[in-house]
Amino acid sequence: MACLESRTTMEFTALFLAVTIVMLAAWWGSRTLALALFAVTLVACVATYLHHASAVLKLSF
Amino acid sequence: MNRSLAVAFNALGLCAIALVLAAAFAAQLLLGELPCPLCLLQRIQFALLAIGPVLNVRFGPRPSHYAASLLVAAAGAAFAMRQIVLHIMPGDPGFGSALFGYHYYTWAFIGFAAAIVLIAVMLLFDRQFEDDSVHPVAVGAFARTGAWLVIGLTALNVISTLLECGFAACPDDPVAYELLRRLR
Repeated sequence: MACLESRTTMEFTALFLAVTIVMLAAWWGSRTLALALFAVTLVACVATYLHHASAVLKLSF
Repeated sequence: MNRSLAVAFNALGLCAIALVLAAAFAAQLLLGELPCPLCLLQRIQFALLAIGPVLNVRFGPRPSHYAASLLVAAAGAAFAMRQIVLHIMPGDPGFGSALFGYHYYTWAFIGFAAAIVLIAVMLLFDRQFEDDSVHPVAVGAFARTGAWLVIGLTALNVISTLLECGFAACPDDPVAYELLRRLR
């Protein structure tokens, strides 16, 4: 459980930071680098979504 | 549509994305509505949507640049739809307040759907791709402003999310800035 928690720590801060780096790479760096960083970031976003989507929902009826 | 007109439309797109990010910040700071994890993920997708316009402005329009934004818009629409479905039961008040009758995640879905349509429309015009060089091109003031607004607002979101979530996982229903609360 501790391992799971440490894996999800600061995930959204890290994703925003990754997007900022992607944008800076697209503006200042090479096109190939920007597209590669973009692909990694998009995969990380989808993985984060799937992690949250598979979490147990606390519903009450 | 020639290359320069396409670049102008991309610069306009950057300003539109900056407006969306600024509106999200306004709701957070002025109305005190802290974004939930799914809301943050949708906000991240809006910021990442700018990858296509930034590359088009910097290196000239390419189908692959539009495709990158198209993938982001599809992912963002899926994330927003997930949140809509979570609150679809009759009697569910939804998360956060409503704006013109719709919650923010519903507006996000409409925004991503609109982005998909607009990118598809832009891809209809082949003349913008006639010059197939991908070297950096001179960037106008309007496009430069749009790009830096998006980059600046995304960087501000890094700080804002750090303040909201601290060094732990973000709470499902945030009510306070976790890092500020711990520092007090």
